[in-house]
Amino acid sequence: MKQTAMEYVDWERGRVDRRIFWEQDIYERELERIFARSWLFVGHESQLEKPGSFLTTYMGEDSVIVSRGDDMEVRVFLNSCPHRGNRVCFADSGESRSFTCNYHGWAFGMDGGLKKMPKMGLYKNTPGFKFADWGLKRARVESYKGLIFANFDEEAPSLGDWLGDFRWYLDAVLDVEEGGTEFIDGGATRSVMDCNWKFPADNFVGDIYHALWTHLGGAEPTLGRHGGVIVENEDSWHFSVNGHGLESNNSFYGNAATIGDREILRYMRSREEAITKRLGEFRTKMWGAVASSTIFPNFSFLPGYFTFRTYQPKGPHKTEIHAWTLVPKNMPEEIKDRFRRGSMRTFSPSGILEMDDGENWEYSTLANAGYVTRNQNLCYELSPAEPMTDGALPGIVHEGQLSDANQRLFYKRWAEIMDADSWADVPMAEQSKPVEREDEFRGPVGASS
Amino acid sequence: MNAKAKGIDYSDYPTLTIAQSKEAAAQLLTLDGNGKPVSNDMLVKINAFYNREARLLDNDRLDDWYDMLADDLFYWLPLRENRFRRDKRPEISPDNMAMFDETKLDIAVRIGRFNSNMVWTEDPATRHVYMISNLEAFETDVEGEYEVHSVFTQYRNRSDRDDATLMGRRRDIIRAKGDSFELSRRLILLQQSVLLTKNLTVFF
Repeated sequence: MKQTAMEYVDWERGRVDRRIFWEQDIYERELERIFARSWLFVGHESQLEKPGSFLTTYMGEDSVIVSRGDDMEVRVFLNSCPHRGNRVCFADSGESRSFTCNYHGWAFGMDGGLKKMPKMGLYKNTPGFKFADWGLKRARVESYKGLIFANFDEEAPSLGDWLGDFRWYLDAVLDVEEGGTEFIDGGATRSVMDCNWKFPADNFVGDIYHALWTHLGGAEPTLGRHGGVIVENEDSWHFSVNGHGLESNNSFYGNAATIGDREILRYMRSREEAITKRLGEFRTKMWGAVASSTIFPNFSFLPGYFTFRTYQPKGPHKTEIHAWTLVPKNMPEEIKDRFRRGSMRTFSPSGILEMDDGENWEYSTLANAGYVTRNQNLCYELSPAEPMTDGALPGIVHEGQLSDANQRLFYKRWAEIMDADSWADVPMAEQSKPVEREDEFRGPVGASS
Repeated sequence: MNAKAKGIDYSDYPTLTIAQSKEAAAQLLTLDGNGKPVSNDMLVKINAFYNREARLLDNDRLDDWYDMLADDLFYWLPLRENRFRRDKRPEISPDNMAMFDETKLDIAVRIGRFNSNMVWTEDPATRHVYMISNLEAFETDVEGEYEVHSVFTQYRNRSDRDDATLMGRRRDIIRAKGDSFELSRRLILLQQSVLLTKNLTVFF
């Protein structure tokens, strides 16, 4: 690769070198610099309610176990036995007292520590052997309003600093009701795409523009009679903090309407007043709006459908999507069930909207097999407005959701972290103040609040 | 069904309540070939029904396939998870996340998507072939309704080297209608816990 990652990303002009979606050495650098150092989403607290419950997932290409101990602490450790390296846990989820490697029977506690093995006396008589040296490697764990993140880098800033003021926007889906949120039961919906992981992440961080064309067919049955897919740059925005991004309008249930379930819309309307009291009018209008978001690097969600998903890298040209549906815990069970079906019918491998996306991302990736092709730049120039400067909203804010503004800031962040030898080299957005539930920001100038 | 999707109002299409769907799911989970096997003559008729269904789906005749579905259709493809044998949770439950959890109305919406002529990822068209085998049919407690188990292989190809093969099992309840049958319940069990293809722009 070139001397620096920033040489591939001209974020100010909006040009991105296509080789970052193709080349193996750039991908290897991403695993080292981005996935081994970033806060990565590993699960929701509701998936690990009981002591002894666990799930397995990935951080980059590292397989990890997420477990809740008897002390109720959630821990994350590598799912690979330090003896010969075999995978330790082959189940996706469950409850256990310990994890035993299939190869030689080394057994680890729910805290990842090495507890015992067959013929343990032989090890005890081995000079220099210490059990404490051979536990499963632990990651740092922190959570934000039910979402659990982990990080293998001891030097990384805290999750709070990593998310920064982006938490204020996240609360528009994570903190709408008393009692917090949960993932609907029944496991992750998982599928693979032959695409680079950055294409879906970039799509969710800011690209509503694609919906005007990609999703015409998928939206026709539910929106056709109501004028089809409508996206405008009035009353809509791109919000970006530390590379995390949300694009949204203020339509309250613009996304939710494409599910085509009137009971969902009726329920959302019934909650609007209470949520407005909690979050203020500006963020309430984003709860189910025409909107999408990516938390850097690979964790995305959609207001309104409430699909939350990770784009797990599986090589430069392959991505595994793991998706769940998030609902407020105190939502009526029947409405939860409607969202379960609604998110499946729109944003899952069989969803009438997601089915349109995969092939776009696959061929945006696979075209770069061509040498001449991958030596071109991609156009990220669309950005009709300058960033707002009045400080009315946290982060870097551009008016108009039809824009490449957030995508440009995503790739800027990508290059900054790729090039940073230490965290001192990574700029962190200033936080306005501790972000609380109450409206601390005035909202955009001219908007009633 | 009207082939011209624009302006379809689906509000009067046949559907099930959530309770009816859950009941149908629970029924499907109990089907285990315990009834009396149907006669050879009946098995030949049922086999013809399945072969016709596969041919209609292969040939993209989705509106004709839709007419083979009963108004009380429940059509279900639940997720699979890798779990330890000692795990006490039922592997599949009616509350699980699914790839399909549909009534006839939901199938109509999916066909409406295809019929919009704006699904760019199906243009040029995907080519399909379905193979149905291991057919077993049993009588049920309801006159004219049959429990049918089958295995499918579903191959598709599009573009130049873009293809996917899915295999699985189906458990159906079909109901006699005129000279043939209609599909009332279907449980589709794929064996992949991670769907190893980018989408399910298919019916099973």
